[in-house]
Amino acid sequence: MGRMKKLLDQSLRPLIVYALAVLLISIPVYFLIIDWIWENELDKHHYAIREKLEKRLTRLNLPDTAVGDMIAVLDKVQPGFSFSETAAPRPDSLYTIIRFDTFMNDREQFRCLVTDIRVNSRLYRVLIETNMEEIDETILAIAAVTVFFIMLLLAGFIYLNRKTALRIWQPFYGTLTSLRAFRLESGRTVSLPPSQVTEFADLNASLESLMDSSLASYRQQREFTENASHELQTPLAIVKSKLDMLLQSQSLDAAQLQTVEEVYQAINRVSRINKNLLLLARIEHAQFEGTEQVALGDMLVALAAQFEDRFENNSLHYSQSIEALYVQTNPMLVEILLTNLLVNAVRYTPAGGKIDVRLDVGSLTVSNTGTEALQEQNLFKRFAQASGQHAGSGLGLAITREICDRYGWQIGYRFADGVHHFSVRF
Amino acid sequence: MKILIIEDEPGLAQSIGTYLSAQDYLCEYAGNWAQAREKVELYRYDCILLDLMLPGGDGMDILETLKKQGQQDGVIIISAKGDYEHKIRGLHAGADDYLAKPFHLPELAARIYSVIRRRSFGNHNSITQNELKVDLLSKTVTVNGLIVVLTKKELDLLLFFIGNKNRVIAKSALAEHLSGDIADMFDNHDFVYAHVKNLKKKLGEAGYGNYLKTVYGTGYKWEG
Repeated sequence: MGRMKKLLDQSLRPLIVYALAVLLISIPVYFLIIDWIWENELDKHHYAIREKLEKRLTRLNLPDTAVGDMIAVLDKVQPGFSFSETAAPRPDSLYTIIRFDTFMNDREQFRCLVTDIRVNSRLYRVLIETNMEEIDETILAIAAVTVFFIMLLLAGFIYLNRKTALRIWQPFYGTLTSLRAFRLESGRTVSLPPSQVTEFADLNASLESLMDSSLASYRQQREFTENASHELQTPLAIVKSKLDMLLQSQSLDAAQLQTVEEVYQAINRVSRINKNLLLLARIEHAQFEGTEQVALGDMLVALAAQFEDRFENNSLHYSQSIEALYVQTNPMLVEILLTNLLVNAVRYTPAGGKIDVRLDVGSLTVSNTGTEALQEQNLFKRFAQASGQHAGSGLGLAITREICDRYGWQIGYRFADGVHHFSVRF
Repeated sequence: MKILIIEDEPGLAQSIGTYLSAQDYLCEYAGNWAQAREKVELYRYDCILLDLMLPGGDGMDILETLKKQGQQDGVIIISAKGDYEHKIRGLHAGADDYLAKPFHLPELAARIYSVIRRRSFGNHNSITQNELKVDLLSKTVTVNGLIVVLTKKELDLLLFFIGNKNRVIAKSALAEHLSGDIADMFDNHDFVYAHVKNLKKKLGEAGYGNYLKTVYGTGYKWEG
């Protein structure tokens, strides 16, 4: 996936590109039109001058020599005119020229008309020229103005886009924000802001029905787990009671008793898994709502005492360092959490190993000796035991994580120098 | 001693009945809510085992009726709903005990024994068996008048055995009784052996006969 783009920017971008293109194309077009108007106007003007000059000179009724003198004077004195006598008429010529002008002391552009006038019977060739704005300066000026307007336009676009588009999309962002707060586990839909816009109203309606159906199937699945576990309790109870009865039989020999003992163990394991499934379902069900101030240290000491037999049985060396820590939580859940961590340590520590429990300000660490690091990515998943050789329920750490998630605590695992460390940050 | 077993699962009801009958209890059965209601209204029992989910109604109603009428029958709820809230609710409604399914029959027998003793003998409560005497109030054990000092767990074990006289008890039942909720988290119950051994040794040293038998290393039996 590439870089994320915002919807508003996406709609703005082609608009900007288009405006830019139009304005850039407008620069030469403006220039051509202005230039055409200029030249057209000047040519008309030059022809008018030519007509006036010819008529006025003719009307004077001067002899040819006097006309010749006057034209010589005009040639010298009148700016923008030059005259010369010519023998035969030639077609007019219109052109534009850029040259250095000694009077202006600069490069200048001129529009010129070369034509003939006839006074009495003599033919004169006349050059009329008018200074006009240079082509490059015109283009520059137009470009400058255009760029100024481009800037104005872009700024306007961005401003209006921010302002109006944001307002138009406001319901969408509102829906997005509400949707982010939606949690399947909470069992509740979130209310989406109402909108008068058809599309947004449709979107909200679809999202609401999506949330409803997700919640319904989630609830169903949860109830299924819970009901299935409940249903299993009774047959399990029957099997257990039948085993207890079987044990009373006088005719059992040692081997048969051994078999009974093994069935007991299997049944215990089924009960354990079932119990934990039920527990997990209930935690997800957001039961265990009430919270109170729990003294973790006291609870831990009491729990560890219950494990004494287990420590002794597995020749485990247990040590603890406990500081007073109070946590606002559900006492049942935190007890389950602590029990699971201890059970985990007892179950997976090799005989003769060490278990250390450390409770200090804000965190609990349960450490136990082990042989090799466990696969962390599987550690807290259901039925994904990180090592294959033991018979846990496969749910203990999943439950632990579920409890931590619920209160926003962080559970972590690391392995260092042959010791597993499970830690919970409250 | 009369026991009423209110349980809709015939297999389970029958196991319970058979196990308890051998303990000199007289067992009656009710397989649904209406039957249970009728029996409870007509007869008195020393202890009623009450399943909560019954065909035809909620077992809780029966408990509430009993309490409303001021009946003195002991009540132990046996339910598949093993969570804390249900236990609290049951005990609040006046049940003497709450046992979650699946349970071991010896555990049930021990609880019935304890409920009946509490109800029948009040606080002046002691058990005598041959040369052994257990004072339940002061929690002291004497053999031929000599005090035997037992740990809390050993005393627990002793009472459990007495409540299951002449029955073979599986090691896992003892483990569950001794370590409660955490017992079913483990498969290995060897620690039971150490406690039983200590108990036997202490009683033996005080001069008590060898009534506690090991059955092929997988179970125990208290003969009395």
